[in-house]
Amino acid sequence: MNSRRLTGLLFCLPWFIGFGVFMLYPMVAALYYSLSDYSVLLPPVFIGFDNYIELFSDDIFWKSLNNTVVYASGAVLLSMLTSLTLALLLNSRVRGMAFYRTVFFLPTLMPVVAGSILWMWMYTGDGGIINTFLETVGITGPAWLADPRFAKPALILMAVWGAGHAMVILLAGLQDIPEHLYEAALLDGANWWHRLIHVTLPMITPVIYFNLIIGIIGSLQVFTQAFIMTGSTGSPERSTLFYVLRLYNVAFQDLRMGYACAMAWILFILVLGLTMIMHRTSARWVNYER
Amino acid sequence: MSADNPLQRSSRWLHLPLFVLGLIFLFPLAWLAASSLQPREQVGRIPPQWLPRMHYLEEDGRSIRVTPPESVGSDQLLVEPQAGPDSGRRILVSVASYQNGSITQSVQVADVVERRTFPAELIQAVPSEFVYVREWQISKYGQTQPRQFYVAPEAISISIEPVLGNYTEAIRALTAGEASKRLPIGELLSRTRWPWTEPEAIGTDITFLTYLSNTLVVAILGVLGTVISSSLVAYGLARVRWKGREALFTVILATMMIPFPVLMVPLYGVFRTLGWIGTLMPLWVPAWFAGAFNIFLLRQFFLTIPEDLTDAARIDGCSEFAIYWRIMLPLAKPALAVVALFHFLFAWNDFLGPLIFLTEPDTFTMALGLQQYQSQHGGSEWHLLMAASLLLVLPIIVLFFFTQKTFIQGISTTGLKG
Amino acid sequence: MTMRTSNSRNLNIYRILFAFLALAMLSACDSSENLGGPRRITYWEKWSGFESEAAEKVVARFNEIERTKAKSESGYRPIEVKYVSVARIEQKLLVAIAGGNPPDVAGAYTLMLYPYVDKGAVLDLTPMLKKAGISRDQFLPSVWDLGRYHGRQWALPTTPATTALHWNRRLFSEAGFDPDIAPRTIEELDHYAERMTKWEVIGPNGASEIRTGYCPEIPDENKRLLQVGFLPSEPNWWNYAWGNYFGGDLMSDTGEVTTLSPENIRAYEWVASFSRKLGVQNVQRFVSGFGNFSSPQNAFMSGKIAMEIQGVWMYNFIENYAPGMKWGVAPFPHPEKSPQLQSTTFVDADLIMIPKGSANPDEAFEFIKYLMSQEGMELLCLGHRKFSSLIAVSENFYRDHPHPYIRIFRDLALSSNRVSSSKTGIWAEYRREMSNAVGRIQNLNVSPRDGLTEVQSRITNAEQRNQMMLTRRGLSK
Repeated sequence: MNSRRLTGLLFCLPWFIGFGVFMLYPMVAALYYSLSDYSVLLPPVFIGFDNYIELFSDDIFWKSLNNTVVYASGAVLLSMLTSLTLALLLNSRVRGMAFYRTVFFLPTLMPVVAGSILWMWMYTGDGGIINTFLETVGITGPAWLADPRFAKPALILMAVWGAGHAMVILLAGLQDIPEHLYEAALLDGANWWHRLIHVTLPMITPVIYFNLIIGIIGSLQVFTQAFIMTGSTGSPERSTLFYVLRLYNVAFQDLRMGYACAMAWILFILVLGLTMIMHRTSARWVNYER
Repeated sequence: MSADNPLQRSSRWLHLPLFVLGLIFLFPLAWLAASSLQPREQVGRIPPQWLPRMHYLEEDGRSIRVTPPESVGSDQLLVEPQAGPDSGRRILVSVASYQNGSITQSVQVADVVERRTFPAELIQAVPSEFVYVREWQISKYGQTQPRQFYVAPEAISISIEPVLGNYTEAIRALTAGEASKRLPIGELLSRTRWPWTEPEAIGTDITFLTYLSNTLVVAILGVLGTVISSSLVAYGLARVRWKGREALFTVILATMMIPFPVLMVPLYGVFRTLGWIGTLMPLWVPAWFAGAFNIFLLRQFFLTIPEDLTDAARIDGCSEFAIYWRIMLPLAKPALAVVALFHFLFAWNDFLGPLIFLTEPDTFTMALGLQQYQSQHGGSEWHLLMAASLLLVLPIIVLFFFTQKTFIQGISTTGLKG
Repeated sequence: MTMRTSNSRNLNIYRILFAFLALAMLSACDSSENLGGPRRITYWEKWSGFESEAAEKVVARFNEIERTKAKSESGYRPIEVKYVSVARIEQKLLVAIAGGNPPDVAGAYTLMLYPYVDKGAVLDLTPMLKKAGISRDQFLPSVWDLGRYHGRQWALPTTPATTALHWNRRLFSEAGFDPDIAPRTIEELDHYAERMTKWEVIGPNGASEIRTGYCPEIPDENKRLLQVGFLPSEPNWWNYAWGNYFGGDLMSDTGEVTTLSPENIRAYEWVASFSRKLGVQNVQRFVSGFGNFSSPQNAFMSGKIAMEIQGVWMYNFIENYAPGMKWGVAPFPHPEKSPQLQSTTFVDADLIMIPKGSANPDEAFEFIKYLMSQEGMELLCLGHRKFSSLIAVSENFYRDHPHPYIRIFRDLALSSNRVSSSKTGIWAEYRREMSNAVGRIQNLNVSPRDGLTEVQSRITNAEQRNQMMLTRRGLSK
């Protein structure tokens, strides 16, 4: 082996160890556990595909998957729209732009635990600040987290509050758009809308794409908010029983580690598949030319 | 910049939507701060109020803090029974149950309820418009019985003042161990169990500071590890020219897609084998083995540093490590700051990791300590929960204001280059 | 040459790194096994607030006894119990046991025990109990049996509890009922409940007034609940047990799943009737304004609910959070047509057990022995304002007991209609399923029959799966 390669590999040694111990081995172990009945306390017993078979015939698995997909689509789309709107509004020479940027960014600093407790308090049905506000404009607010129809939307709304993160990235993208493109568009007589559709948006598609990927992977893992706000059972009526919450319950409350590992692998395949689909289709709408 | 960029048009009307949206985004934070400063009795009122209101009652020229007044109802008498279940207390009875210096009350005798008559001293007749207030207790961990008053509503005065005591009360509340909560706050904090004190040490308490120092230990060791290990790997990928580094970089990038929940169950098994469950180790040791995202970020940065600088050093006989340590690291300070900041934030906010790997309160981080408290006392002590939440978020906000530029730049660049 | 030096320098930094890591690892492990000092054990409990304080006192007393013993007996190493109050113990304990880092002794809810036993997470106490001479005949049988499973004893009761109807005397008086007499049948309870339900109603002119009863004629947007006579979902702790009050059961004595029985259906029809009468949305909004159970804003203690099913501990909470409140206790009502069901009660207890992997099981058992002694038991149970798990009590225990209704609760523990948790490894899952189904029944999203049918089929499957797991491990019955 040549010495340069050895040097390079030595520099990368921390990653190799970390990858081996904290990723590769766990992944392989998970694959084996997913084919066994395993409670940690007793050695695993190989049972073939029983876990997977049970998983696919389990209504709760499908329910949790459905909840997660609904939440992820809602949270990603709404956050995307919000952050895009905010970024477009801020991408102007409005005085105090830095101030507004800070205002929109502040909520993203909120630790999820603190944020969840705060929103729980605001979502109180009787006497909560949100319902009180709604009442002043003549709307009788729902019980939010206690109402199976409103619990997921409530969590989505809370996710939108964190749109400031994507906004900052989008804003940087917007400010990188060369001036001459707008000048050219103006010469062509393009109006505000046309410039948005034909110049601005195409130019920031890579940033939007990046945010989409990060947003989707992140919201598929939603856990803490639901765990704190609606409990580990995903009440009401399992409407906030998300995939990872279910996985946590199965693993650490029922100690059915084998079953949980099967869920983990399916989650991995889902994320992998989604990313690949996104990557394939991205060629059609993401503009990589600069 | 003079070109008329239509989306950069400076126009005043933009202020309106920005202002409204800004208000909406700030609203939860404002409500957090407002609730954290309200007295206990005000929290949960319908409708909620923004400003903290304290109620005072004048007695013998002294102002006493009291609870918000409650209505007394129809005509009642205030009496002090000389015997019976309420002897020695001042209680309200209906006019009908008082007669010639005695009252009739239901009492439990063995398993049967009986009506009995007890001597009682009449204090005063309470007109129906009178209100009922109790002496305000500064701490719910105090033990004294609060005094009760039946007075005319005019006797109560209201003043708007924040209850800063909620913060010390929140710190008390987050303390594990009921008896300790009654200690004066100074003594309580001085008895903190630090992460390095012997677990069995007598006379220590698991306090808010324990959670804080645990969090800092995890965060600081984690930041150190992340910065050192990720920069090493990034250097190896960016500046040491060897075959296969591009392929390795792709593999490293690919691992970014593995969500933590996928790994958490087998990782638990790994840490169990290592005997780390219930210690802080699972939360910071992995940081010493370079995370994909940070490698990526630092590699991109290293690539922007001109090769001439390092080539010159190489010709001078510097070792690769010396180049990395003496030339690259000092140059990469801004990028390292971003990595450090992000990891600090992650460690500070992390919840799922501590939830799974920590078992005993003396190892809890702030986020977990707060959640554990919430799970037991949530639903009523919102003012304390809000105060504690504010204590959790405040350091982050302060950090943000000092490092705003690094922050925003870090997010922008990592986002853009993706 | 350059490269070689670079490599050795690389190794140097790694040496430093790993030395640092190793140092940190060492500092995290404690190896302070002091031969002459006390034998320290860790005790996790789930209680908080004053219940935790009572337990802290008992632990302090035990430690004191041990110290005195060490002083008089040279060479005796006293046991020192470190008390740790653990929130959400049902989430933390299993993780600690499985992680190989459990406490030496732990308090547990009954719902945790049977699944833990089936997973091999609990130490069998049977041989130790035999040696120590602790046996069933010293205990209230219903309470002792809670720790029994597969014919072995896995846990012992610390503080026992039974449930009964609690009512607010003031609200009874205000509604014109005799504050000393509770409803005796379910039908009476319904009548009482209606009369004690109050709304704030907004009239056409915007003025608000207070109305009593269910007020179905007033549209929801014009009324807001102020007070409810009875609400099956408050507290929601035994939502799986309503069938018992109507003669149903969740599991037969032979271990068959019996969720879908006519009695259970009738019970949940009754539960759903409250949602119909009050309006699902009105209830949700009303309930979401309730404070935490252990706070002055508790729905019962703050007078928002006039009657509820509660356990023997309620007195302690009332004394702490609503001193001066007038309240009463009686066995929960039974259906008028089934007088044989009177005095139905749910018997439960806080259990104590030794987790598998406990580093000091013998010392842990010494501590348990103290808790099971008359002194330890009465110290703790008086602190919790509960009755004793032991049959033998000190002379004045019940006479001087501060709880005014303590005998009612104790007698209920001997009632022939007592019920308790089903003994199955999937009991936690069963409760979760019931909870979910009852939630949907209460929100009128599913009929009681369909909801229970679902649970029946899911739990039958789960029970089969559990039996299979036990067979695989050679643990089957």
